[in-house]
Amino acid sequence: MDSLWIFPGQGGQHADMLATVDPGLRAKVEDQLQLKLLDTDDAYQDSVQLQVGIELLQVDQVDRLLAAGFKPRLAAGHSLGVFAAAYALGSISAPDLFKTVKLRAQLMQGAYPSGYGMGVVVGLTRPEVEALVAQVTTKEKPVYASNQNAEDQVALSGQLEAIDAVVQLAKDNGASKAMRLRVPVPSHSPLMNDVATKLAASLADVTIDRPQGIYLANNTGHAVRQSGPLRDDLGHNLAHPVFFESMMAVATDYQPNVIINFSPGRPFRKVLAQKFGDIHQVYLDQMTIADATYLLKKWERGS
Amino acid sequence: MSDSERNWASHRDAKATKMAAVQPLLSGKYAKTNDAKQILEALISSGDKVVLEGDNQKQASFLSKILASVDPEKVHDLHMIMSSISRPEHLDIFEDGIASKMDFSFAGPQSTRVSQMIADGTLQVGDIHTYLELYARLFVDLIPNVVLVAADKADRDGNLYTGYNTEETPVIVESAAFKDGIVIVQVNEVVDKLPRVDIPADWIDVVIPADEPYQLEPLFTRDPQNITELQILMGMMAIRGIYEKHNVQSVNHGVGFNTAAIELLLPTYGEQLGLKGKIVPNWEVNPTPTLIPAIESGWIQSIHSFGGEVGMEKYIAARPDVFFVGKDGTMRSNRAFGQMAGQYALDMFVGSTLQIDQFGNSSTVTNGRLSGFGGAPNMGSNPTGRRHSTPAWQSLRPDNDPLGKGQKLVVQMVETFGSSKKPVFVDHLDAEEVRKEAKLANVPIMIYSEDTTHIVTEEGIAYLYKTDSMAERQAAIEAIAGVTPVGLRSNAKTLNDLRARGIVALPEDLGVRRTDAKRSLLAAQNMEDLVKWSKGLYNPPAKFRSWS
Repeated sequence: MDSLWIFPGQGGQHADMLATVDPGLRAKVEDQLQLKLLDTDDAYQDSVQLQVGIELLQVDQVDRLLAAGFKPRLAAGHSLGVFAAAYALGSISAPDLFKTVKLRAQLMQGAYPSGYGMGVVVGLTRPEVEALVAQVTTKEKPVYASNQNAEDQVALSGQLEAIDAVVQLAKDNGASKAMRLRVPVPSHSPLMNDVATKLAASLADVTIDRPQGIYLANNTGHAVRQSGPLRDDLGHNLAHPVFFESMMAVATDYQPNVIINFSPGRPFRKVLAQKFGDIHQVYLDQMTIADATYLLKKWERGS
Repeated sequence: MSDSERNWASHRDAKATKMAAVQPLLSGKYAKTNDAKQILEALISSGDKVVLEGDNQKQASFLSKILASVDPEKVHDLHMIMSSISRPEHLDIFEDGIASKMDFSFAGPQSTRVSQMIADGTLQVGDIHTYLELYARLFVDLIPNVVLVAADKADRDGNLYTGYNTEETPVIVESAAFKDGIVIVQVNEVVDKLPRVDIPADWIDVVIPADEPYQLEPLFTRDPQNITELQILMGMMAIRGIYEKHNVQSVNHGVGFNTAAIELLLPTYGEQLGLKGKIVPNWEVNPTPTLIPAIESGWIQSIHSFGGEVGMEKYIAARPDVFFVGKDGTMRSNRAFGQMAGQYALDMFVGSTLQIDQFGNSSTVTNGRLSGFGGAPNMGSNPTGRRHSTPAWQSLRPDNDPLGKGQKLVVQMVETFGSSKKPVFVDHLDAEEVRKEAKLANVPIMIYSEDTTHIVTEEGIAYLYKTDSMAERQAAIEAIAGVTPVGLRSNAKTLNDLRARGIVALPEDLGVRRTDAKRSLLAAQNMEDLVKWSKGLYNPPAKFRSWS
């Protein structure tokens, strides 16, 4: 079975999402990081609790699926999700993953205490949004076109007033939707260069193995088979747009026959339907691993 | 060196040296499956021109996997020549440095990755060819050093049976076998006696039994269930306004639901119009299952094919009056001859596309997807040296020029908006931008405006061959382009003028009632109906079976 495993980033978190996680794994991570995971809505206001929590949830789901005998042909993470994607392909060990994710969260937390964030424009193409951004951005109040989640959906990252100005222009120019997002950091833009440089430096002495499958890179949207570009993506993706639309477009060239969506949330329904039509999909946010395993085995027999 | 000392057989000597080196691994022409990697590393030199058989349908998938596993230290910078880039490992070899340059025709299944790898410089494109250009250059300036091809069966001597999916194998093998190239073939099966010999053992150097049968996809199977009433309406218009009007005798249909609709309308709507026996007895087309009702009801006299189609084997074997079938009872296909027929023998090509510009140029290359083209550019172009007396070809001859020639009918059938609600009619093709990004010599246009004689949409038919200026051609296109930005430039006055002069026809001008375009008009509603029409001889692949 050729499967595509997709790991979302922040956004779908909720209290008690770690309830199903193997207690042994959770204890090991808490011990390694010297961090008590609280798994409450309140705690998820904290970047470290949030990022480590999401990656713990994803690593646990990966472990269970691997133990049930499934392997990804392709793995795609969105932003934070890149770490679990690399883990699923055997490129990074769990301890290295958690160490790096904790550092990533700490660096992001300190980077922009106020005044910066993200927005989104729906219904305009990337060149159209880039033209609007060019009218607004200044050295003092910078804004960038960032993540490309679908052909007509472009994120904005930057200074809040500049984002608001692009949002207004977008509405005036025919966008079907444009708004600021509740994200406190201008992720996936050059404003994160310092954070990315530090994160990449800490990854320099981490072993990154050649992926045992196809890794879909955020920063280029390309299919990757070597460890070099994968390492680059883990370290630097915060400073680059996530080209998720391209990642999914190139994934179609490998003709996967099932998609496994990891928790939390289900943010990519629309683009997946556009790219893959009515392909079999599993949402681990909505079913137990046992149910998912049952479905996957059933489809494997059928195809 | 003087002339008398010159070695005029240096290529032959080089081949002999290489073949001698692998002699210990061979028994006759046979190598063991497990030695395949060693064989390729010994017989392929860095920088060689290599044809890897990736056809539209059949893939030498065992040899492509093995080529992707060779040591890039030993074999690198190959110049690949492939009619179809179909499998991920066809591109992996570029990432790993085994190959660096590619000449190809079609890359539909890998179009996003091709586009990305050109952008980052991993893959250097020679040219994007039409099929016939690529085959022809194998005998001129792209003469291969090594060819890697696929056959169904080989006998002990190395004679090959390629059967239904012969496709490109003969043309590829011939280009190497007579110019001291090395011919390596993967086979599904080794037998004592072949059903028939498609390629003689003399032309073959090494035969390797594959670990699994070559990849073959049912690319030309369309489930009638997915044909829409809009497509039926367009099919009815085309039958009246083109097939009947021009008295078309021979045709190729591109792959798509528009043409599948026409195939299923011939035995019903075509019959009502009294056209049976009058139009399209002769076809160059793959054995697509939606042709079964027309064949069974006596519409079709002959079909020659580029390749086979999974599931159609028994049906074809039982209809040798129609298909090209050997005395062994299995079909023989040949893409090179099929393309040649499309250029020089057919009255008409009918196809579809993703974009048509304001001038009438069309392309399936869009932003981020460098798909190349399949048969359409050859089938959909007009060879100007041709001279024909068929009524259809003559019917396009201008009446004001005593030396004037006829023209092949090239028909594009599109709905004005495509799948993701994007307009098909655009001012500029994405292909223009792609040419710049990929640094191509030519804009990757699939069918040029000058070759396009008709465009059919749900609005009507534009008879482009009747226009006598580019402005008039543009007006005709605008008139049938619906509410796309191009179509909105049209107005009622221009439309009526174009209708009066026969340059544009709406359904009512053709006597087609929109309300008659119902699914019940299709001779088969679903796959099960096709099986019934075939008297149980057609055996659809599993993914097309919704019953049983």
